[in-house]
Amino acid sequence: MLLRLIVGGVFIWAAVTKIADPLAFAQDVRNYRLVGQSLSFLTAIVLPWVELIAGVCLIIGVFPRSSALLISGLLVFFIVLVAITMVRGIDVDCGCFGTFSRKANLWLILEDSIWLAMSLVLLFSPANDFCLLKKTS
Amino acid sequence: MKLQQILRDRETWKGILIILALSLFIGTVSNSGLIRKFLRGEYRQAFFSREDYPGLVFITLPEMEELWHNQAALIVDSRSVPEFRSGHIPGSISVPLEEVKGGNSSLLDRLKPGQPLIIYCEGRDCLTSLNLARLLHERGFRDLRVFSGGWEEWVAAGLPVEKEDDAIQE
Repeated sequence: MLLRLIVGGVFIWAAVTKIADPLAFAQDVRNYRLVGQSLSFLTAIVLPWVELIAGVCLIIGVFPRSSALLISGLLVFFIVLVAITMVRGIDVDCGCFGTFSRKANLWLILEDSIWLAMSLVLLFSPANDFCLLKKTS
Repeated sequence: MKLQQILRDRETWKGILIILALSLFIGTVSNSGLIRKFLRGEYRQAFFSREDYPGLVFITLPEMEELWHNQAALIVDSRSVPEFRSGHIPGSISVPLEEVKGGNSSLLDRLKPGQPLIIYCEGRDCLTSLNLARLLHERGFRDLRVFSGGWEEWVAAGLPVEKEDDAIQE
């Protein structure tokens, strides 16, 4: 339960900072120079809500497996993205926590790896009693 | 539980689909104002609200050329020093964003807030010109033009190029 609170809480916090300023987040996405203006905009509109809903679902135990898989997938994507950005020599703010963001660097990869390890533990652990929707089969 | 089991479970995918659909719905509804603006053509060059950055505009190549001919504004090159040295718009000065962000704020001493400035970088995907413009806006500059076509468009149009590095003050 504690692990779900931590991982879910971090994702909710990350989402809220982005939802508060979608344009700033869209610019952060654009700064990675991987996708164009339209896709950056779409990402900024949808991604923070994916993080928020997945985080909430993980904490309250609705679709816990799905949210853990989604969060793990997002973290793998973030790690690969930061690694590619570093290899390309692009100096950007990660955009992870809105105005509290920092540089996309090796430390960020390490930090994301820790979150990934936690979410993988959640993904592979048996469903626990705190879930609102329990699987009956 | 094994990964294969998790991936085979329809319940897992049902949950993911619901989360994604809900996110798309809420994201679209809660940002309908921004989406309307985007569809009208705003935010196509940069994601900022014009109200937050009064005095910051984007200019095209013909506008850039006219301003350059009339010497109506100071041209600022936000690319790195080696890039500037290998060629730049005649009359421009080098203010590399990476150095300014690295703490070399003396580079900005040559610029005065009342002065009209045109900022450019490599072109296409480059963002240093816009980021430098934003930084200058925060420092009180209110006559800022970003030449989005940048160096690539200038060269492609066959316009004059300068290779000296007289404008650099190190």
